[in-house]
Amino acid sequence: MGSAIVITSGKGGVGKTTSTANIGTALALLGKSVCLVDADIGLRNLDVVMGLENRIIFDIVDVANGTCRLEQALIRDKRFDRLTLLPASQTKDKYALSPDAVKRIVEELKQSFDFVIIDCPAGIEHGFKVAVAGADQAIVVTTPEHTAVRDADRVIGLLEGANLRNPKLIINRIRPKMVRTGDMLDIDEVVSVLAIDLLGIVPDDETIISQANKGEPTVVRPDSRAALSYRNIARRMLGDPVPLELLDEPPTFWDRVRRVFSRG
Amino acid sequence: MSTVASSRLHPRPGDKPPVFVKGVNDGLLFLLDEECPMDALLEHLTQLLHGDTASVFDGPVVPVSIDYGNRELSAEDARRLLGLFMRVENFLIREWGAHTAARRALLNTRGAMTGQTIHKGTVRSGQRVVSDGDLVVIGDVNPGGEVAAVGDVYIFGRLAGIAHAGIDGDERAIIAAAELRPLQLRIARTVSRPPEGEGWPPRTFMEFAYLGPDGMAVERLQYLSALRPR
Repeated sequence: MGSAIVITSGKGGVGKTTSTANIGTALALLGKSVCLVDADIGLRNLDVVMGLENRIIFDIVDVANGTCRLEQALIRDKRFDRLTLLPASQTKDKYALSPDAVKRIVEELKQSFDFVIIDCPAGIEHGFKVAVAGADQAIVVTTPEHTAVRDADRVIGLLEGANLRNPKLIINRIRPKMVRTGDMLDIDEVVSVLAIDLLGIVPDDETIISQANKGEPTVVRPDSRAALSYRNIARRMLGDPVPLELLDEPPTFWDRVRRVFSRG
Repeated sequence: MSTVASSRLHPRPGDKPPVFVKGVNDGLLFLLDEECPMDALLEHLTQLLHGDTASVFDGPVVPVSIDYGNRELSAEDARRLLGLFMRVENFLIREWGAHTAARRALLNTRGAMTGQTIHKGTVRSGQRVVSDGDLVVIGDVNPGGEVAAVGDVYIFGRLAGIAHAGIDGDERAIIAAAELRPLQLRIARTVSRPPEGEGWPPRTFMEFAYLGPDGMAVERLQYLSALRPR
């Protein structure tokens, strides 16, 4: 029996889908069987980020309506043999899914997967309620901006109301330089407001954009700092006490040159 | 106990009416605003007691208490004010003064207030915790969160959202917090925002906000018993 984790944020554009794709892939690379569920009906993206768009025949709404069996809608990712996607519907509207239907589907998925990771739509209305319906745990993604933190705070309150206590926090798109100059909220500030456990921090990384456009999760790129962060997040979810990554930028060529000279 | 008529003959937006009428045990309590100009007060009372709304007060004989607060009254003012009340036929004037028993009884009911709420946990954005007595929050009140109480509000944590004490109009209610950096403070009908600009100095003591003679004021919690003796 696996566990179902919903990834949510309230605010849009903070990296829910990216986090879902990368955490799921990282867990699969660590040997766990993972099913990614796209609960963003009408605005599906997860299949695009994963590069699986052209293989969709049935989707989660078809499963809920009984048009097809659950196994028929699941897309096995050929690159990572333990990774599977249950896509959202692009054509139907968000009311096509009910919380009860999603709960049933997630329960069934939990029988055959170690992790069921649900990508929640932005907002706190029907789509949010549907996405959290079947979840046992929640991960809240935020960025170090007042608006995103405010929305995350609201969502944590709603999760408590839905009996999803002790959600975990990911602070995404951190720019170490801006934090150092005081132009961006720092991690301590965000954590002290939200007062929940920090699962990980992810630096702002252009590789995320290029990899999403390529349809390949960033975690497969060994040279990306964001990839390292997501791999560490996955390890922490499995109980491995990995310390937080340092946010300092890697030294540039000129830094190294300067250091060599200062030594002399 | 209920408000009989919160007279609003001249609605002045953002301004409180100069006269408040409260129903107390067996009669009526008139609370006269102590700051508004004497002429405005007289005009308002004349309208209230002898103008369009006069019929509200018709009926059997009713005991009346009149409290003029801390206003300095000349003999002439007192005669004119009292005269307005004496001309109402069914008013039996029982009390006239600065700190009438009726007013004290009204404010003292706070001590006997039923509900006292202890909220454990963070009050997050979009959440609102209300108490019909005093409210104690063990945790932070985050930006976008709101706590409100008929009595006092005590926050053992950081107040970064909105707190409203004395929601039924008790101006002696206070707001205390271990870290007082609110978006907004409200006591009774007074709303106040923290001064803009500079950040918050770090504090290591608990503070409380109260309504002083010049509006909202903040003091260290140690001074609470001096300002609000029980």
